[in-house]
Amino acid sequence: MESVGEEKRIRALFSELKLADKQSAPGFVGVWNRAQLDSMRPRRAFNFSFVAATALLVCALLSLAIWSKQSQRNLPAKLETAVHAPKAVETVPATINEPAPSSRYTRHRTQSPLQVRKTNNRQAVLAAANEKILSDARTIESWSSPTSNLLSSPGSEVLNSLPQLNENATDMKSFLPAKPR
Amino acid sequence: MDTSELKGELERLHSASYGWALTCCRRDATEAEEVLQTVYLKILEGKAQFRGESSLKTWLFAVIRKTAISEYRRSWLHSLRLTTDTTETEQRTANDPGPVARLEHSETQLRFQAALATLPERQREALHLVFYQDLSLREAAEVMGISIGSARQHYERGKKRLRESLGLKESGYGVGWRGKENPSTV
Repeated sequence: MESVGEEKRIRALFSELKLADKQSAPGFVGVWNRAQLDSMRPRRAFNFSFVAATALLVCALLSLAIWSKQSQRNLPAKLETAVHAPKAVETVPATINEPAPSSRYTRHRTQSPLQVRKTNNRQAVLAAANEKILSDARTIESWSSPTSNLLSSPGSEVLNSLPQLNENATDMKSFLPAKPR
Repeated sequence: MDTSELKGELERLHSASYGWALTCCRRDATEAEEVLQTVYLKILEGKAQFRGESSLKTWLFAVIRKTAISEYRRSWLHSLRLTTDTTETEQRTANDPGPVARLEHSETQLRFQAALATLPERQREALHLVFYQDLSLREAAEVMGISIGSARQHYERGKKRLRESLGLKESGYGVGWRGKENPSTV
């Protein structure tokens, strides 16, 4: 009962407020006409904040594109320096034993001493790198596990070998199981 | 619904719309009027279109609510940039007595409005839609864009809080309208 009474009271307060609002409400015609005038007014061609946001976005995209292009350009150079040495391994004997000048160098015979020195230095560096790689390869080739001898058993030769077809019978007997007595 | 028919309906709902706009604008008369004008502009420009999915009243109230929220956001951003403008509007509102000032003859009404102002926005909206606009909870939920269960919760909590805050304030004044309503219960 009390809650019903309270609700009625709240409703009464709200209706009092409604009445006051109704009295103070602006006329519909006035508000409508102003809205109509606003709708007839030409709109601003562009929104400044929208333009600013778009410009910022374009700048960000451009910088990202430039950065990615730059990084892509740097990547092959790095790869070249990394890949160049292993490629040279194949031609190591030729480069080390007989450093024959490449066609590029033969073409330009009239090179300046500075250029010649530079090429020589480059070849020397290359040869040193090749030699290091070769020695590493040799070391890896000759490497054996310290526990490899544990894998071989005393009878492994007999177990791993097979009897040949043209072997004599006595030799073949060694492969047959012993007869039970 | 053609424009003239819609205009007639809007005219019929105008005072109710204004009351709802006032609630959405924290009882700021100037802001409420601007919101209402923006809503009418949206309707005229076709940005807000009534498709008959709900009643015109709930649709209109939902548009008013959304517009009030966006206007509030915009004015808040604007106030961050320009403080001079806000002082200007303050002066304007000070000169205009407004509906609150016109109600000052009723002390109970003032206390009621103060209690309403302390309520969370959703609770205030739910109470307004049910008590002031005589909408059902389903319609109130539609306007607020929430489920009917949530609307009921906001409504119940709001009612409870309003009752409590009115009771507390009245005990401070030494007068209890609850006592007036039901003297035997106190």
